[in-house]
Amino acid sequence: MIGNDIVDLALAQKESNWKRKGFLDKIFTKKEQLQISNAENAEVMVWNLWSRKEAAYKIYNRQTQIRGYFPLQLECFDLKIIDRIIFGKVMVKGSIYFTKTEITAQFINTIAVENVQDFDEIKLLKNRNNIQKTNGIPEYFEAENLSTKPVSISHHGRFQQIISV
Amino acid sequence: MNKPEIIEKLKTIVKPYVKNQEAFDNLTENTDFITDLQINSANLVDVILDIEEEFSIIIDNQSMERMPDVKSAMEIIETKLSEM
Repeated sequence: MIGNDIVDLALAQKESNWKRKGFLDKIFTKKEQLQISNAENAEVMVWNLWSRKEAAYKIYNRQTQIRGYFPLQLECFDLKIIDRIIFGKVMVKGSIYFTKTEITAQFINTIAVENVQDFDEIKLLKNRNNIQKTNGIPEYFEAENLSTKPVSISHHGRFQQIISV
Repeated sequence: MNKPEIIEKLKTIVKPYVKNQEAFDNLTENTDFITDLQINSANLVDVILDIEEEFSIIIDNQSMERMPDVKSAMEIIETKLSEM
């Protein structure tokens, strides 16, 4: 099970005013808000946490087929930085998913997995060929053995990422 | 406030965040904010905050969970308005 999310930082700056009254309270827990206020770059931390929640939500949505908007129930924790890649976990209604986040000056990209060893199995796809959505959830169809693989697509501004496992 | 009035106000609120103009022009109760109107999920927070300001209501977390489509948003607004 996988999920991904990409944030175009230039577009995010244009589209969202995260300093707006009430904005952080609606989507970040008190602990997450503390991480934002303690961060060297608060804006980057906002989108770092947000992309982790989004990527984890995509796994939850695939597993349960439940759609909803409950960012406060997707809590980011256990953040570790190894070789400039940020590893973390997100707790979603009792389940824990693992996240791996890359931050550049242009974008923030998170991949979430259910099993931590799946990070090594992630493949990047170049296009949407053979991808179909069922109930809004994308899958890759393999014609040769009539099987499907989970796919996650994220597109924001200048960036798009399609992954499979 | 009746249903058509609420839907008109809601349309004014979501308009700036909409990425799919055609879906917006054909908006019905079954329209989904994210999959149809292609509103960025981070902007859904702005929609919620704008609804709170416009209707002078508070959308609690439980109600927010059901937000992604127009029908649920309308129900939430109607319920909150009736509680006032």
